[in-house]
Amino acid sequence: MESQFLSLFEVSIAFEESHLFFPRIVSWVLVGLLAIILLSKSNRIAPALRRAGQAVTQGGDGFDRKRFFGTILLIVIYFYMMAVVGDIFPNTGFGFLFVSIPFIFLLSMLYVEHSTRKNILIIAVTAAIAPTLAWYVLSQLFRITLP
Amino acid sequence: MEFLSYLSPMFFTLIAAGALIGVIFGAIPGMTATMAVAVCLPLTYALDLTNGLALLLGLYVGGISGGMVPAVLLNIPGTPSSITTTFDGYPMAKKGEGERALKISIVASLFGGLFSAGVLFYFAPVLADFAIKFSYVEKFLIIFLALTVIASLTKNMLMGIFSGVLGVWLSLIGTYEITDGGNGETRLMFDFMEYYLVAGFSLLPVLIGIFGITTILQDAEKGFKGDAGSPTIKLTKGSRFSLSVFKGQLVNLVRSSSIGTFVGMLPGVGGSAASVLAYTQEKNFSHDSSQMGKGAPQGLVASESSNNALTGGALVPLLSLGIPGDSTTAILIGAFTLQGIQVGPLFIGDNLDTWYIMIAALVVANFLMFGIMFFAIKYIAKVIEVPKHLLYPIIVMMCVVGAYAINYGIMFDVWTLLIFGVFGYIATKVGIELVPLIIGFILGGSAEVYFVKSLESYGNLTIFFTKSPIAVLLWVLIVLSLVFAIFLKVRARKQENLVSSN
Amino acid sequence: MKVMKTHLRKLVCAVAIAGTAGASMSSFAADCPIPGNLRVVIGSTSTGGDTYQNSSIVADHLAKKLDINAKVDAVGAMAGFRALDRSRNGNTVMIFHDQAYLGNLYGVKGYDNIFEKYTVGPTVAINPGNAYLVPKDSPYQNIDEVIAAAGEGEEIRVAIQPGGVSEIGFSALKNAVKVEHPGMEDNVVAVNTGSQADKNQLLFDDMADVINGSVQANEQYTRLPADDQKAMRFVWLTARNDTIKQTNEEGMGKTSREDLLQYVNPNVTVPQSESQNFTFDKEFFFLYNKDMNPEIVSCIDNALEEIYAQGDIQEQQKKSFFIPNFKPSSEAQAYLKDKRDQYKTIIENIK
Repeated sequence: MESQFLSLFEVSIAFEESHLFFPRIVSWVLVGLLAIILLSKSNRIAPALRRAGQAVTQGGDGFDRKRFFGTILLIVIYFYMMAVVGDIFPNTGFGFLFVSIPFIFLLSMLYVEHSTRKNILIIAVTAAIAPTLAWYVLSQLFRITLP
Repeated sequence: MEFLSYLSPMFFTLIAAGALIGVIFGAIPGMTATMAVAVCLPLTYALDLTNGLALLLGLYVGGISGGMVPAVLLNIPGTPSSITTTFDGYPMAKKGEGERALKISIVASLFGGLFSAGVLFYFAPVLADFAIKFSYVEKFLIIFLALTVIASLTKNMLMGIFSGVLGVWLSLIGTYEITDGGNGETRLMFDFMEYYLVAGFSLLPVLIGIFGITTILQDAEKGFKGDAGSPTIKLTKGSRFSLSVFKGQLVNLVRSSSIGTFVGMLPGVGGSAASVLAYTQEKNFSHDSSQMGKGAPQGLVASESSNNALTGGALVPLLSLGIPGDSTTAILIGAFTLQGIQVGPLFIGDNLDTWYIMIAALVVANFLMFGIMFFAIKYIAKVIEVPKHLLYPIIVMMCVVGAYAINYGIMFDVWTLLIFGVFGYIATKVGIELVPLIIGFILGGSAEVYFVKSLESYGNLTIFFTKSPIAVLLWVLIVLSLVFAIFLKVRARKQENLVSSN
Repeated sequence: MKVMKTHLRKLVCAVAIAGTAGASMSSFAADCPIPGNLRVVIGSTSTGGDTYQNSSIVADHLAKKLDINAKVDAVGAMAGFRALDRSRNGNTVMIFHDQAYLGNLYGVKGYDNIFEKYTVGPTVAINPGNAYLVPKDSPYQNIDEVIAAAGEGEEIRVAIQPGGVSEIGFSALKNAVKVEHPGMEDNVVAVNTGSQADKNQLLFDDMADVINGSVQANEQYTRLPADDQKAMRFVWLTARNDTIKQTNEEGMGKTSREDLLQYVNPNVTVPQSESQNFTFDKEFFFLYNKDMNPEIVSCIDNALEEIYAQGDIQEQQKKSFFIPNFKPSSEAQAYLKDKRDQYKTIIENIK
């Protein structure tokens, strides 16, 4: 009787398939939880989606489209160009240095509220100094690999 | 007491230098203690063993402690184990108590560090023998316990659990690594993604993506106006730091430091579990935890004392079994081998002088870290007065450096930042809770290995209950932590109802 | 986009030339087309392990000799191979060990045939420490008894990390049982696990009879008193007798070279076939991108030749328990290919 009871819980995992064992369990739990959530909140989903769609396409609701999408776009260009420039000067960290300077300048310009001459000057100086300092200390002194 | 002759001015200078560099590395989002130790390892070639250890232990202690700075001031954990520091640290910084929060954290760190150094010194061999009683099954249960405590950290129980499971799921993407005893096959992806995802998403880029980039996107959405606009936080307002905060915190300090030391001792469990466990234990067992998560010093105390206690804990298996307790101590093994010193169960007996030197270095490093941070904090805390339009671009840049450098130069880790930054932004909009998610992500990988290996070894699910008295005790703790979580939720709701009906 | 790229390249080149023009070149490096900043990726992600240690010794000597910067990056096997794939101009080279082809033999995903896909470069060192251990109170005194027990139908559980260096000894053991006791080889079963800590733990938990380990990591465990749960005993070192003979006389810890020699051929016999004994040395060697300029290959060969002729590197390697083992590219290629073919036969034989 006892051995029968124990055999209920017996599990054998083939080594070739063992990479799927745990992910399958987690996936099913995840799907189950998602179903419960969707069922319990079904009446609130549609209006929320509509509101979000409006905010993204037309702005409003305090959604600053220029700064939000500008940030994402700049980061994408930043990451992409860093690898490209880095390939031109392999193993020097120049890709990081040369691309970070314009990136910091542009992102700061995007964020700054009053682009007075003084502000622009501060931004330009920061954009030049911060990456150079980071590059020098990390890449040259500590010999950390940079793009 | 022959070892005292080794303690030269050079010894102290190197510890101080190590602690300072470590603090700086830890304080930069994306840079970790492990990285600090790794990049400074070549410097020790030129030093003898004593001085080399002084530098490395200084870096280790400094690096772990430095993680509190961005956690408190910017809401970005500098190291994975300082996640729980953000819960109360950032709300305090927002109230203008950044400096106070940091000082509380530093004192707690000092306590945790010294506590664990003491435990290491007096009990290392005994504890090592205890630690090897934890096989796959018990290690899985410890991780499971840490996962169940997610329940007490959630705002909405259902969404919180969903987020935690999602975190585990995300951590499983990639290869079931042969270095963990897996079969090297990939899963949870389509074939075309394999090129990039073969190693899965790395923890550090995910962490700083979700905390750093997400925050920036959220502020960008608001257009940096009003609340999100530039410097609204003033350092000087709010109450000032005084040691009286620690009145009544002794139990918390000792409990959290013990948890930190113990979890640090178990190789493969992962240090981040320590601060999570310590934080929730404080939440569950203290008299009044109603303020936790809104800027309560006790939360900082639990988090920081436990994560600094990791240092001594992780050295226990290193010095008494020759097995590293975490990724940083793994590098220390390299430093020992370079000096021709072998680690293993006989290390302490064979190298008594080195052993005393390490303990001395560890204690001194904690005091010097305290000195450096306590007096520099006034200036470090000024970071939050920097206008966001200057600060945020620099944070993005430093996150890139950290993400790229964590695995020694992998570009996909940088893209992971953005992927999880955007993911974190959307996730918060649909009500997914990021903290349970990230805890699930941190623990998911080891949960899998220990779960699958337990079953491969014993072939029966009942083993999780019958393996040993330790396993039974862990189940008791798991049940308790769930009961407490539900109890606290119910009580909080009742209080809310009371307030609203008044 | 393309136009933009070239423009950009010109612009940034101009800036960079100004920066690098000052760097001087030694006479050796003058006729060597090797880039001034060399990245050495390794197949391990650990900066505390043997691959990193050995690679940084070699990279440092190479950098000094060629007057370049060389940086070792512990990116791991998959990322390392990929970095190598991308680097046609020789900016990135890889140092790895036998895992590079064993992974392929065991069919681990992501491991291609290195002899086809890359250029195999010189070997530089051996880690002689690959070992098999049993608990101190084990009934098996030596590996012969283990093989005999398996031949008599006892199940022998061996804790290993699957798919490579840790498994090859296990495969050889299984093969040896097949040679001596045909049909009984399935009594040798693998317990697949990860780190050394996990392997040790399996032994402590009595979930394995034999574990794979190393002289460096396990020597102290062999010196523990027999009543300690953690006590172990070496039964087999896979290295060649010649390899162990080259270690320093003190050996490792309190286990001298003399002691270590007990656990290798001919005191230990693990037959590979009727006529031959199995040995395995974990060797470190360079891997290059297939399209890399052959002049760089010979340049690194020559530089290493000179470095090994000087003799400092040998001392340094021996101090860290490595056996210096320099073979120039062409010799190394033929040697490693032959080694691979032998192990291939073993692995296919026990399938």
